[in-house]
Amino acid sequence: MKTIEEINQKIKDGNAVVVTAAEMTRIVRETGAKEAAKEVDVVTTGTFGAMCSSGAFLNFGHSDPPIKMAHTYINGVEAYSGLAAVDAYLGATQPHRDPKIGIKYGGAHLLEDLVRGKEVELVAEAYGTDCYPLQNIHTHFKLEDLNQAIMINPRNSYQNYAAATNSSEETLYTYLGTLLPKMGNVTYSSAGELSPLLNDPYFKTMGLGTRIFLCGAQGYILGEGTQHNTEVERENGVPVGSAGTLMLKGDLKKMDPEYLRGATMPEYGPTLYVGAGVPIPILNEEIAQHTGISDQDIGCRIMDYGVPRRSRPAILETNYHQLRSGSVEIDGTKIQTSPMSSYRKALQVAEELKNWIEKGEFFLTRPVELIPSHGQTVKPLQIKRPSILVKDLKTKAIITATAQDNLSDVARLMVDNNINHLPVIDKEGKLMGIVTSWDIAQAVAKEVQELTHIMTKKVIVAMEDEPVEVIARRIDKYEISGVPIVDRDNLVKGMITAEDLSRLVCSRDDKRGESL
Amino acid sequence: MKAWLNFSPEIVNKAVISNLMKNFDVSFNIMNANITPKGGKMLIEISGEEAQEGINYLENQGVHLTPVKRVVKKDNDKCVDCGACLSLCPVEAITIDEEWKVELDDQKCIGCGFCTSSCPTKAIKLAD
Repeated sequence: MKTIEEINQKIKDGNAVVVTAAEMTRIVRETGAKEAAKEVDVVTTGTFGAMCSSGAFLNFGHSDPPIKMAHTYINGVEAYSGLAAVDAYLGATQPHRDPKIGIKYGGAHLLEDLVRGKEVELVAEAYGTDCYPLQNIHTHFKLEDLNQAIMINPRNSYQNYAAATNSSEETLYTYLGTLLPKMGNVTYSSAGELSPLLNDPYFKTMGLGTRIFLCGAQGYILGEGTQHNTEVERENGVPVGSAGTLMLKGDLKKMDPEYLRGATMPEYGPTLYVGAGVPIPILNEEIAQHTGISDQDIGCRIMDYGVPRRSRPAILETNYHQLRSGSVEIDGTKIQTSPMSSYRKALQVAEELKNWIEKGEFFLTRPVELIPSHGQTVKPLQIKRPSILVKDLKTKAIITATAQDNLSDVARLMVDNNINHLPVIDKEGKLMGIVTSWDIAQAVAKEVQELTHIMTKKVIVAMEDEPVEVIARRIDKYEISGVPIVDRDNLVKGMITAEDLSRLVCSRDDKRGESL
Repeated sequence: MKAWLNFSPEIVNKAVISNLMKNFDVSFNIMNANITPKGGKMLIEISGEEAQEGINYLENQGVHLTPVKRVVKKDNDKCVDCGACLSLCPVEAITIDEEWKVELDDQKCIGCGFCTSSCPTKAIKLAD
């Protein structure tokens, strides 16, 4: 048994034994946890990943005449200023106010520019008061000009996270990167055996006041992060999915752009790559044992992001050793993997923190309150007015054509029923294609006779158990006016059109009016 | 050698590539092509006994040829070695080395652009 005070004395004397979490894995494997606990004083962890829930409080100082900023834009990125007169919170994922720039330059890029010492533009608007008469301000500043720039990240360093793949027919752009169709790739994001919370899986050493490495400066843990979850499934003592999180604080003015980078997840949004490292004091054998965890022992589930719902199906259970090898095998097919978080940078963080401690520049702290280790769950947000599913919609009776039908019959069918879309089915009632009134017009113009020649064969469809919001987005994304509804066996169940959706929105609004 | 072939609108209808294959002893690999009636370009790799004669033929037919030393270039200051690009490369030209650094193999690269459009820090660009 050691105490934090004893370890700090060793750091002061220059004889503390500090190793990275990757080195500790080897030491525990070779000598066992008991010996390792005697030998090692501190294990340094590290992670460098995209952490959307990040940002900074900025205080600009008062102008003359003074202003109470209501809307604040820095380099075109809005910082929330519903605080005192010249305070604002700049969030990493806030896109640029100009839609043409949008997600290409957001809060995260601005945070990096500030840390790099670049001059940025400040535009603020206000309603004006007796004590703050100024209504507009346009000026420039640098990070050094601010009174404070305090990074507060509500949720960083996820203990573990799911890996992602995509079984659908289309490329998906997600916070876990680009997911190719038909399970074309797998992405994951964890530093694995180097990751802070995987090395202290029951939060025995970390809590409010733990001094840490944050983006190249000394920072602190403020406590558990948002969505902190302790009631999770574990294997080898560590969670197999997302679990614990940390809320972190640091001084933006002291940070190093080497460990903080603005980025954009394609078609998703801006995000901040944050380098964070937590030192773990090896107070006893149990803590040593925990820090000995290896990538092989850390499980990870590959989830299907092709299903756009909160609960996604798991495709495969694997571990970080396998994921880091560059590929996994799903149903006999080798699929390439992408880490998304930088293992090289994570190692660099752990090495740098080790270096600070060895040089006596960084001392450990005893947390005032440990991170909660039980009783915390993540509640979902209930939509009080639940999603309407496709099958709940009152759609018109199913009208379909078969491949053998001649064109004039098909045209008459559409006119008689006042419809513009007609699914084409085979003998079993399965979907083969779709024709629209525009296709018919084209066929007449080009003197084509065969229905199969003019129908669209690659049909965008709606499944019966999908929420209508998902269908609305799909119709918008593909710039189409309707989709056939099919079941799991590809049997046509009906048709849903943009008109049906707009009618639905109107009827919902009517109902809301009545209840008031 | 690897090269971009630039087709002007006047020659997009000519069967230059098939004539090249018929008349010269070359082995010819099309790695990337985007040609419309308004012209376009094709990334190729050409080798064989008569590669130079073949190239001369292409030039004579009005196909402008730009040899490629590099298909893509990576800005190592911008790259954080996150590896987002690794699984997107259809020809496994992107690997991660023993020090967990992302490396591009320009010999294998076919210039498809998946990595350039998906790089979170915009560190990879197609070389001209």
